[in-house]
Amino acid sequence: MIRKPKDDAELEDFGRFSEPALLILVSLAEGPRHGYSMTEDIEAIAGTRLGPGTLYGALARLEARGLIEPLKSKNNDRRNPYRLTTLGERSLRARLDSMMAVARTGQRRLAHA
Amino acid sequence: MNWLLQLYPARWRERYGEEFAAVLARQRASVGLVLDVLAGAIDAHLHPQIQNSRSKQIKGDDTMTLAMLERCAAGGPKLSPSERRIAFRLSILSALVIAALYIVLTKIYREAPAVQAVYWTSILFPNFIYQQTVYLKKRLWLTQAIVLGAGLSAMYLFMLAVCVVGRKL
Repeated sequence: MIRKPKDDAELEDFGRFSEPALLILVSLAEGPRHGYSMTEDIEAIAGTRLGPGTLYGALARLEARGLIEPLKSKNNDRRNPYRLTTLGERSLRARLDSMMAVARTGQRRLAHA
Repeated sequence: MNWLLQLYPARWRERYGEEFAAVLARQRASVGLVLDVLAGAIDAHLHPQIQNSRSKQIKGDDTMTLAMLERCAAGGPKLSPSERRIAFRLSILSALVIAALYIVLTKIYREAPAVQAVYWTSILFPNFIYQQTVYLKKRLWLTQAIVLGAGLSAMYLFMLAVCVVGRKL
């Protein structure tokens, strides 16, 4: 059985926002981004366009749990950039490791099927 | 489309309103978009995240007091089911360990003040373990161990002093 890493639990109770939250963390792994830039990046990497309701539902949860943090916007820009916190980076790593372990197991089993 | 923003709670609008509007303004109007924003508004009312937010943008000077008040509010810090299970198991385990320790020490040293102090400490210890597990959940294991060790030592030394003084009276 594949054990879930401890830090992975941070994303456990996000409900329908789990996947958008994961995509946001992946998007921010490259560096700070604001909301619209995240939707563009996520569409490019996952082929899913997050609506603003979903995007900010996930962003608010990630921020409340300390996985991301807002940065001060430049020149009174209305767009607030966000960045990953150390905790966010750890959670993302843990989730990706867990997903890779599942993928590897699936591939191995399919190879023997 | 910005009228949709009025469906969100006031605190939410205050925090995310401007940037949300900026994102919304760049989307093409569609039924899907309206439904997404409506679902988001319902979610913001049902599951407000702002109270729990550790945002550095909290207004006012005394953010530490504000954070403490938030943590002391009904329900305390937000815990996931797995975190609750861990805290519960740790407090039960610590109660069992300290009970076993008390039985062994009583068998060997009878009613020495040091043994009595273990008994009195055991009453507070499981609750202390639970509280620390909850409030220190984001800290490193080393930090948690130091706080728990120091807290337990302080409790034990206090109880030991009480038992020694009580014996001499």
